[in-house]
Parts: sequence; C-alpha cells; structure tokens
Amino acid sequence: MKVTIWGNELLAWTAAAALAESGNHVLLVTNEHEVPNEAETEFKVSNEPGLEQLITDSKACGRLKVGSDEEGVIHASNHILALNPDQFVTAERLVARLSQTHSSNLLIINQSNFGVGSSDRLQSQIGEANNQVICYIPDMLAEGSALQDYKWPQTYIIGCTNDWAMLNIKALFRPFSQAVKQWMIMTAKEAEFTKFANTGMLALRLGYINELANLADQLEVDIEVIREAMVTDPRIGPHYLHPGCGFGGLHFQQYIEALSELMSEARNSKLLDTVLTENEKQKEQPFRKLWRHYDCDLENRVVTIWGLSFKPGTASIDNAPSLKVINTLLAQNCRVQVHDPEAMGNIREHFGEQPNLAYFDNGYDSLKKSDGLLLLTDWPEYWSPDYDEILNQMKYPLIIDGRNIFDKEMLESLGFIYYGVGR
Amino acid sequence: MPANESVAWNDLQSHAYYMSQSHISTLFREETDRFSLYTFEQNKFLLDLSKQRITEETLALLIKLAEEKGLQQWIQKLFDGDHVNDSEDRPALHTALRTPADRILSINDKNIIDEVHSNLSRMEEIVERIHSGQWRGFTGHSIDTVVNIGVGGSDLGPFMACKALAENQADTAKSLKIHFVSSMDGSQLAELLSELNPARTLFVISSKSFTTIDTLANAQTAKEWLKKSSYAASEETLISRHFIGVSANPDKVCEWGIPKSNQLEFWDWTGGRYSMWSTIGLPIALKLGMSGFREFLNGAHEMDEHFRNAAFSENLPVLLAMAGIWNINFLNINAHAILPYDGRLSHIPAYLEQLEMESNGKSVDRQGNNVDYKTCPILWGEVGTNAQHAFYQLLHQGTEAVMCDFIVAARRYHDTNNPELQHQHQLNLANCLAQSRILALGDSVLEGAESAPAFKRYKGNQPCTTIMLDELNPFSFGQLIALYEHKVFVQSVIWDINPFDQWGVELGKKVATSLLDALGTERKQPDFDSSTNGLINRITERGE
Repeated sequence: MKVTIWGNELLAWTAAAALAESGNHVLLVTNEHEVPNEAETEFKVSNEPGLEQLITDSKACGRLKVGSDEEGVIHASNHILALNPDQFVTAERLVARLSQTHSSNLLIINQSNFGVGSSDRLQSQIGEANNQVICYIPDMLAEGSALQDYKWPQTYIIGCTNDWAMLNIKALFRPFSQAVKQWMIMTAKEAEFTKFANTGMLALRLGYINELANLADQLEVDIEVIREAMVTDPRIGPHYLHPGCGFGGLHFQQYIEALSELMSEARNSKLLDTVLTENEKQKEQPFRKLWRHYDCDLENRVVTIWGLSFKPGTASIDNAPSLKVINTLLAQNCRVQVHDPEAMGNIREHFGEQPNLAYFDNGYDSLKKSDGLLLLTDWPEYWSPDYDEILNQMKYPLIIDGRNIFDKEMLESLGFIYYGVGR
Repeated sequence: MPANESVAWNDLQSHAYYMSQSHISTLFREETDRFSLYTFEQNKFLLDLSKQRITEETLALLIKLAEEKGLQQWIQKLFDGDHVNDSEDRPALHTALRTPADRILSINDKNIIDEVHSNLSRMEEIVERIHSGQWRGFTGHSIDTVVNIGVGGSDLGPFMACKALAENQADTAKSLKIHFVSSMDGSQLAELLSELNPARTLFVISSKSFTTIDTLANAQTAKEWLKKSSYAASEETLISRHFIGVSANPDKVCEWGIPKSNQLEFWDWTGGRYSMWSTIGLPIALKLGMSGFREFLNGAHEMDEHFRNAAFSENLPVLLAMAGIWNINFLNINAHAILPYDGRLSHIPAYLEQLEMESNGKSVDRQGNNVDYKTCPILWGEVGTNAQHAFYQLLHQGTEAVMCDFIVAARRYHDTNNPELQHQHQLNLANCLAQSRILALGDSVLEGAESAPAFKRYKGNQPCTTIMLDELNPFSFGQLIALYEHKVFVQSVIWDINPFDQWGVELGKKVATSLLDALGTERKQPDFDSSTNGLINRITERGE
C-alpha cells in the first residue's frame, strides 16, 4: 500500500521504517512547509535502538522516502498524522488540504496526542461524506523499545466507526497483527480518552511508589521489602512500581502534562498536577541525600554521575533527572564528572564545555577522586560493577543509588556508605 | 534667621490674609485655565496643583521663600554628601543609592557609587540564586518562601513596594512567596510559621543597626522554629542556609551568627526610612527581579535629576512641598490625607506617615531653638474608594481643614482583555475625580445647591493635589516615592529642621528596657509613676 506519514516524532520514524520494511511505499514528511518543526526538542533517530539502521535499509531499497509536503499530499490516500502535541493547527491545515486533493476515499489516521475530542474536531472540518475519514489510534510506543512495540503489539485500540476505513486500517496493520490478542474498536474520542487514562494511571503508580519510598526513608523501613510484598497481590501487579529518582522522557511527560491540564481545567482536579510536581522534586532526591550527607555544603566537592539518559535503552535525555541534578550540583560549585553508555553525545550537546563539568567515556575514570557517586539511570552495565575498582578510584566511598539497583548490605560490607530510594 | 522672619514669609502672610477669604471655586471661576496654569509634568508624571487655594502670586511668593531659605544650596549639599544630618554628623545620601554606575561621588576618599553597585551586584547574585531555585535549604529543597523580618524603614518600604508592584512580578518569581513580619509581639510571625515549611523558608533579617529589639526578637523566634523543625542539622548550617542579614552594622550581624557570605550591606549615610533603594530592597528585587528593581531605581534617579536641575517654578518636589508650606503655615491646615485611588498603593499612606512624620515631626531648628511655627502636619490615609466609606464624611462636612493628595494611574488593565476590570478602573477614576472636585469646589458644582438644607451642604475649599501617573510600574513608582522624599527635604529646609534624625523615638526604647525588668521573673515592687505602677501590678496579678 501507499502511505504518507506526517511528523518528526518517534512514532513517525518508527511507523515509516516498519511499514516500509513490510512492503509499503512510504513517504515521510518531516518538516516541510506544512509540518514546521515546532517541537522544542527535535527527535533524534539515533536515540532509539535499531531504528537508524532500519531507516537506512528501507531508504536503500527505495520503499521509504523523505519528501516534501507537495509530494506527501498526492503520494497516497492513506495518511498517518504523527505530529507533536502542540501542532494541532498544522493538523487542521493539513486535513483541509488533503480533503481538497482526495475528494473521496481518504483515510487519515491521527496518532498525535492533541487531546480528547481533537480527532472529531478535525473530522468536523471536512464532513464524512465520500469516505473522507479521520480516525484515531493511540501511540503506544515506549522510548527504547519503539520498533518492538510497533511490530509486535498485543492489542490494537482503534478509534474508528467507519466500515470502509476499518477495512483499510486492518489491511495496513496486517503485517503486525498476526499475534494481536484484541482489537478494541471504539469512537475516536473514546480512544483518545483511553490513551490519556492509561498514561495517567502509570504516572499515578510511579508517583505513589515514590511517595511511599520517601515515607519509608523517614520511617527507616526498606521500601524494597514492601514493594516485593505489594506486587504479590494480583490486583496490584509489578509494573511501574519501582521507586526511583523520577520519570522523564519526552512523550510520557508531555502526555501527563496535557492530561493534568485537562483534569485541572475540566474538573479542577490537582491529582496529576501533584504527581508531576512531586516527580520534579523526586528527580533531585539523590542530590538532596548528598547535600545532607555533606551538611549542606558541597563547595568544591567532586561528584560523579552514572546514567544520564532518562531511562536505560535510550540515548534520550529529555526531562531526565540528570539534567536537574547536574544543574544543581554546578550551582553549588561542585566539580561534576559524568558517564553514560549512550547519552554522552546528547549531554555534551546540552551542557557544552564548562569548567566544572567533565565528560567520561569510561565509568571508572569518572570516579577519580570523587566524593560521591550518584546513580541516576539503571543501565544493565551498572548493575554489577567492579566494586574494588570503584573503591580505588573514589576519594570517599559514598554511593547514592537513585534506582535501587545495588545490594545495600553488600555495599556496606565492602566499606561503602550507601543511600537508596526509600531504604 | 528663623523661617518666619524672612521677607517672603511676611509677604506670604499678607497674601494669605487676603487668600484665606477666598474659595477654590471662586478661583476656578476667575481663572478658567487653572489646569494649564498649575499643572506640572515630568516624564509622564503629572502634578496637578490647580485645586490648591493658590494663585500665580502665591506660587511666586513661595518660590521666593524657597530661594531666601537657600534651597538651591541645600539641594546641592544633599547631593554632594555634606553632613546635612547635623545631629548625627553624617550625610543623607539616598540619592547615591540610585545613581548610575558610571558616576563618581567620593565620601572620605571612597567612591561610594562603586560600593553601591558592588552591593547591588551581590544582591543580584542572591536574587538569581533564589529565582533559579538554587538557594537550597537544609533538606536540599529549593527555597520557595522568603520572610522579611524588619520594622520601620526595614519593613514599610519593601512591604509597600511589593504590594504596589505585584503585577510587575518577574516570571522567575512566580513560585516565590514573600511575607513581611514586623510586629514585636510575635503575632504576625506565629500565624505565619504555622503555615510555612521550614525546609523551604528563607528569612531576611533587615535592620540598619542590627540591634532593633523588635526585629531581633522575631529573628530569634524564627531561628528556634527552624531548629525544632529540622533534624540533625546544626545551628550553624541552619543559619547559613536559611538566614540573610541586611544591615549597616556587619559586626553585629556576624555576632548573631549570620556568616559574611549571607550578608548584604548598606551604610550609615542611608537613613532607615530612605533605605528601600539599598539592599534593604532585597524583597522588592526578589519580587521584580533585578531588572525591575533597577527600573525602580532609574525612576527615582530621574526624579533626583529633575529635583536637582529644574527651576523651582517647574520643579515637582519643590512645588509639592511649597504648596504644603502654604497650607500649613499660611492657611493653618494641620491635617494631611493621603488618598491613593489604586488598591495596589494601599500601603503608601503608612509609608508616608513614617517618611513625613518621622522626618519633619520636629520642633527644634538646626540651631537648637524651639520653632514658633507649625512643622509637619498629621498625616494619615487609606485607599480612596475605601476611605469614602469611612473618614470622607469628616473631609466633606467636618470642622477640620484637611489637605488631600489624590494619587492615581491614568491607565490600568488596558492591555488585558477583561472589560469588567477595565470598567472597574473607569469607576475608580470617576470617583477619584469626583471626590477631589467636591472637596475643592464644594456643592457649587451642582445647580441650586444653595437651596438644600444645611446638613446636605458641602462647603468644599479643602485644597487637593492630584498626582497622576500614566501607569503604575517600577519606574513611575520610583518617581513617586522620590518625589515625596524630596518634598519632605524641601519642607525641612523651609522650617530649618533636620529631617534625617529621629531622636524622638529613642527614649521609649530605654524606658521599655527598664520596664522589662519590672515585668520579668525577678520582679521588684515597681517604682514608677502611679499609673505605670498600677498597670504593672495589674499585669502581675493577672499573670499569677
């Protein structure tokens, strides 16, 4: 089939690569006239494992082309909108233009997170006669596993009530839907709400476990013991229940902010707003432990940070705790030595060359003369390090574990001073 | 020569004999263009004296009096750093606090403009650290609340300015709450502390001498509160993270425990009630950001330059002051109402009460002689539209002659899309103009008012000044306050008194200290006057 994909987001590139791989002729319009790049952070293909390679391959075989908006409009009658949440006006203009060119049998799959009711607003612009259909399929990709998520989904949530469009959607996603357990068909508005509801639920769980962890800190209880017991309850389950120094990422945060705003406007509810505010504080929790350990004076301390991306498996530093912690440490006149397996390029680009910030390609080198190690991202390579080497390098054996990946007892037996989250 | 023995004074007295018979409404009938004759403007700042009981002759005589009193030389002395505060043998250089960095003013061989600006830079560092969320409390959380503890000049100015300029708040200050605590009895502080989070609260202890008992008592309470609410952190750590000291007496600040790094300085040549332009203005800078604070200084500097250079006949502070002299000394009006028609200026009456009454509430001239003329009148005030429902009855129909200052901004809400608020501003303006019109002109503004019964008549003839800003912003607010400062100075020159000392507030402190012993735990039988003894005994009985 022929498809035009509009956008410069993770979803746009992932869908383009995956659809081209499975035989479709895909034209991707990233930031031509109709899709100005309004996003603050441009999406980086290289942040996502496997994606860059697949794009290169698909381009090489000619099935994926990045083109202009004029080409995009006429290339196909199937369109996917994978725009940034603040590009609704762009979407409106685009829909108007597409409906003029394709006066019948036009399928526009909106996967942008414009908020509840926005797909209907786009539809109302063009009317539904002659099968000019706008439907909504939520973007369920997680950064770090986007290709996997796209190619092997468990469930499809489809916001579409037009039979002709449904037929086309099923055809388009046939290569990926062989193992799909459920097709959830509903209205576009309901699908948009579902996306919001899921995201909010996850944020609430993370917010709750972090709040519990902070309480455990004060009551001197180990949150890990509590958490392990909690997850045995089938009503609760294990997902999104790891305490840590806050969640980040571009999309997750954007979605929750949008939902929080909606809840606050429509319901005067502060529920998610509180989660977001607390999460921002949580990102600095490792800093606060260091601060208190050194009696509120970090002047000229050498501090090492391991883990800069917002989560393991991605080079993305969008809304990552590391950004806040580095800023704060620099403001306290520390010398900051950082390491990350993937995100060094991004972090260097973000902070540039600064006298008190040193970038290391080797984690152990970054520990030289350090007064404290803050672990902020639980990359696999940090889970079981060479403790002797750490002790050798550091001036003072202090570890602040923002993801609770280390064994507290063992570290203490080796002579480390250890602080975790809620333990 | 005493003020009232000069030629101009005598001429004014003769002139006043004639003018005191006249009514402002008659003056308006005789001079239909009074507004253009008696309105003066300085960079968007308007002073309307047309509703004063004056004529061109009055103004000419008043200017003559100012000249005879050597006002120009006194202005020069003030700006040059001469010891115009003779009883304390020091200059009064609040004007230096708002002088641009490229100027030079040497006092004791030091360029104080440099010192002023280096302290402003230090203040800027503190403001930026707090605004960026990088001033951290003992838990490592960002400070989000600042409590200014000070009294008098270390409270009234910043308190007034923060309220007046709240709409000009810096974006970076949006999440910062600023509170003011002054009362000695701890009632403000106790209420506030019950709501604050100690981990995120920073106290600014502002005191020129750093010995003011009111302030130190509140500071001590704040310190103990922090100590109780924090675990493990030492007192030294708590103070270094939660206290800033602003003072002209750094040794005392150190003694209290605040390290040098947390101190901001000003100088003994800054009078307390003239100190808002110095580092005492830290809360203002925290509200407006440093660029807003510098705008505020620029506005005041602009008024300084105008005061220093403009001819008396068009010099706003001089004219405002001399209109006051006319009312007080020649028309025998001894009450002065400050009537801002702007809720944001609600604290300006309290501020001017201190500025005017603490500066010029004196009866001994610079030679040490008792004066035999009136000096500072009684000042009070309230937001005009509220005062209309309170003391305006007296202004309109009472037996007291009162001069009134109406302060209002011509524009407000013009850049919002809120027609309701725009309408409210019009309503406010209409009331401002209506009240000054009736107070000055009386019911002559109505047709056939003469036929009304006596209790419905409005005699008018209360002299009114209108100060109109284009809009209230840091710059115009700086102009406004500097206008009043210089007005006070001009009047002090005419009265030949020192406006920069305040010996009248000292004795009370001493006597209070001696009474403290009588009220303490080791009480002796009090040995004061019978009233004081009786009251002490009553307190003692009730306490047992």
